[in-house]
Amino acid sequence: MGRTLIRTEKLCKSFSNDGNQQHVLKNLDMSLMEGDFTVIMGSSGSGKSTLLYAISGMDKPTLGEIHFDGQEISKLSNDRLAKFRRDYCGFVFQQICLLDNMSVLDNALTSGLLLSRNKKKIAAKAKELFKRVSLSESSWGKFPSQLSGGEAQRAGIVRALINDPKIVFADEPTGALNSVSSGNVLDVLTDIHRNGQSIVMVTHDIKSALRGNRVIYLRDGIICGDLGLGPYSPELNSGRQERLKDFLAEMGW
Amino acid sequence: MKIARLAIANIRNGKSAALSQLVLIFIAALLLTTGMTVIGQIGSFFDRKTDQLRDPHAVMIIEEAQFKPEYEQFVRSYPGVSSAEAEPILLLNGTNFLFNHSNMSIGTVILNAEKERSLSPLNLIETSKTATAEDIYLSYSFKVSGGYQLGDSFTFHYKEKDYRFRVAGFFETTMMGSQSMGSFKFYLADASYRNLADSLGESSGGRLLSATLGDRYEGAELLSDFKRAFPEMDTPNNSDYTWQIDVGTVKSTSTMTVNIVAMLLIAFASVIVLVCLIVIKFRVSNSIKDGMRNIGILQAIGYTNGQILFAFVLQFAGIAFVGSVAGVAASHAAMPFFGSVISSLSGLRWSGSFDLAVQFGSLFLVVALVLAVTLQSSLRIRKLAPVAALRGGIATHSFRRNYFPLERSRGGLDYVLALKAMMAGRKHNAMIALIMAAVTFGSIFSIILYYNVAKDKTAFIHLVGVETSNVLVTANSGENGQRLRESLEKEVGVDKVTVLDLVETRMEGETVYTNLSDDFGRLENNTAYEGRHPKYDNEISISWLIAKKLDKRIGDTIQVEAGGRTYSYLVTGFSQEINNMGQVANLTLTGMRHLIPDYRATSFHVYLEGKSNEPFISDIKEKYGDAIRDVIDVDETLKSQTGTYVSAVFAIMVVVLTSTVLVMALILYLVIQTSILKRKQEFGIQKALGFSALQLMNQIAISFVPVAVAGVFIGCLLGCLCTNPLLALLFSSTGIKSVQFVVNVPVIAAVGAVIVILAYIISLLVSRRVRHLSAYSLIVE
Repeated sequence: MGRTLIRTEKLCKSFSNDGNQQHVLKNLDMSLMEGDFTVIMGSSGSGKSTLLYAISGMDKPTLGEIHFDGQEISKLSNDRLAKFRRDYCGFVFQQICLLDNMSVLDNALTSGLLLSRNKKKIAAKAKELFKRVSLSESSWGKFPSQLSGGEAQRAGIVRALINDPKIVFADEPTGALNSVSSGNVLDVLTDIHRNGQSIVMVTHDIKSALRGNRVIYLRDGIICGDLGLGPYSPELNSGRQERLKDFLAEMGW
Repeated sequence: MKIARLAIANIRNGKSAALSQLVLIFIAALLLTTGMTVIGQIGSFFDRKTDQLRDPHAVMIIEEAQFKPEYEQFVRSYPGVSSAEAEPILLLNGTNFLFNHSNMSIGTVILNAEKERSLSPLNLIETSKTATAEDIYLSYSFKVSGGYQLGDSFTFHYKEKDYRFRVAGFFETTMMGSQSMGSFKFYLADASYRNLADSLGESSGGRLLSATLGDRYEGAELLSDFKRAFPEMDTPNNSDYTWQIDVGTVKSTSTMTVNIVAMLLIAFASVIVLVCLIVIKFRVSNSIKDGMRNIGILQAIGYTNGQILFAFVLQFAGIAFVGSVAGVAASHAAMPFFGSVISSLSGLRWSGSFDLAVQFGSLFLVVALVLAVTLQSSLRIRKLAPVAALRGGIATHSFRRNYFPLERSRGGLDYVLALKAMMAGRKHNAMIALIMAAVTFGSIFSIILYYNVAKDKTAFIHLVGVETSNVLVTANSGENGQRLRESLEKEVGVDKVTVLDLVETRMEGETVYTNLSDDFGRLENNTAYEGRHPKYDNEISISWLIAKKLDKRIGDTIQVEAGGRTYSYLVTGFSQEINNMGQVANLTLTGMRHLIPDYRATSFHVYLEGKSNEPFISDIKEKYGDAIRDVIDVDETLKSQTGTYVSAVFAIMVVVLTSTVLVMALILYLVIQTSILKRKQEFGIQKALGFSALQLMNQIAISFVPVAVAGVFIGCLLGCLCTNPLLALLFSSTGIKSVQFVVNVPVIAAVGAVIVILAYIISLLVSRRVRHLSAYSLIVE
């Protein structure tokens, strides 16, 4: 078992809507291990994405603490959080969120050049990653709108990996893709996890969840289930699938 | 009603953008109405003042020794004269006094304040509560331009003697009330007047012959006929002091600068109206693009395209109407400020009235233009199908170039990303560049004007037509003139001495003020802009205005009349000067002798080198006192005379520069705000990737820098190249064809740099908005 990468203590997140307080995360205590592929599941409105964005420094919690690799990040200023994200995190979004006014290569470099001034080195690294996620060379100079959803999401994964983040946060990365593209994207995530990359992924798709080695189930802002699945292997998947289904059934999925 | 609700909802959705547009239109309407009010009213204002103050339409000042009862008789019996008066006065040729903190040399006329008169009675607008034996009453321009207040001490220097008085009041007059008339009149209390008359002796006595006519503009004809009837009054050198002026000339002289100031205001207001129209076009296009889905929904629920289009028109025309009404109303509040500028230029209290036609005119103009541009920009709504609108318009993939690829572009990440953003927003950047160019041009124009009027005055003074020597010495007679000139040339510290006399002549019915010199080539101010000044006795150069009036070209001959004789001269060139309303010609001294055979020069310009004016003046007064009629410190006089122009031009510069900064701030606010809204997701993604708010702010601000630099560069270039031709156009009514104002490139470059830095700072401040947006909410939204 790896060391703790992220730890939350009494994490609360509330939103105010026309004076009405909506408590999305409620005193949530949780630890995520380095090298894990953690999947967060739960029904709509359970607080999955809110939790993901809180622990990734994208949003600030209302109360409680978040420790990342021993560093308390919940009290950091917006600019320090930006630096934290650029130094340690990679993001893969459901809506892909590539910058549509620049080429696929430039999208990767926009992130890479935040940490390194060596354009040649970063460009070479981006191209290597593009090859690793099977994105053909002809796509590198294209705009996001010229790619298929799967291609665009793989480009998004390259952007997330370009700075060798300690952890990749994926918010329903296959949510907007067809099944073939989803499979390709999940294969890429599985592959990078095998190479030691920590990943936290929010999903409501069982196929996607099976790629993780740990599943956390959230209901009404509280963790109500935590399942260890072990490493993913396509050949030995049926037992894992059964265990996950049983777990989700138990959770009321 | 439904449409009005839609328009109001649209305004509510973009409150700050609507407010920016409102402010722009407000500024435009304010300047436009002010300029138009002044131009529309200045003529009637002057006429009204003449009537109110019962000022004469023609005035002659004649030395007592020269005065004959026939002169008064001629005026009284002249057809059309409704009233005439001949009043004894004191004539002081070449008095010196402090005006606007500089020493002014000018002719003055002193009247008895307690004497009854029907024409131009003493019209005090401010008076001291107590009376003393040393009381003097000065014209209003002494208060607004000269720097005097009630109770101040006023000293004038005349014939080596100082005369000290106490300022007991200010009066208004159209005649001899401001420096532009070339002569001032003062009033003294009866006792002081008698004392001064006794002290000066009979030689300073004179007669002020004034007349009003049924048609005020026949004053010029009266004076012309007077000179024909009495040729001795038309012969230069015959008198120490004779002076004649008609109300038409006074009106043109007094209102000329005011008109130019007002025209500058209107020109700048037009620039701002243009800016407004560009902004409205941009806003309409953006509103349609951003509100495409809403348009689709409205169409789906049954609104016609015409109704939706009308809502857009109502929205923008409504803002234009409110802004214009506020601007027109504010022009009333701003009038005292411009009124003080007018007062300092004319020496009259401005009392502009409510001009309904002008107010409605500017209101209509602004609203109509906004209406036209809004209609033209929103016409595409008419062709929009509901389905297309609901899908967000006809979405075409724009497979454009990837400008500034990060792998190959030089420079830091933020800088290259800013350049990418700049290329992505080419349309609105072109708009910003255009606006920046327009306002920069306005600023550069006003700065060049101010620089040449207030700092390096030579070109401005040359334009007026004044020779830029150091000291002007006038001999007391032509006979002494040549000897005096030779002596002056030998004085220590004298670089050169030139001759420049001015006599009144007539050319084919036109009164023309003719400069006389033995060598025009030695003068510092070469007023010939085409051809050359005369060299030989049969040559003449004439102003463009005279050439136009008399249809003369270089090589033509022209009949000149003076001293009862006529002679024909060959036109060798065209000259220009604002002085004497551009009614100017130039003859050699030998040429003048064809008309007045015994003519001798009396005015000598002295150019000093290594010697100050003051000691030189006291030296020559001591040495040649008897041979000298008058000595003028040209530098000091020009300093005091240009003071009022400096204030007026400074006011214009302040208005233009303030408006430039305001317009720039509003435009950048509008564009950046729209841009942040449009690029919300892009900024969210960048924030998620780890860009700090400061980096994003820098990106936004830097993306506008090349645009600002381009706009400012074009504006500066246009300012450098077009200011002189534009000024020539503005002054053309006064006979100016070519303006050679100094274009100080380092100053202009510095101003350009300041505008760019300001644009950057404003952009940075406006883009602070991104600080308050969290990466999460930006992506989620």
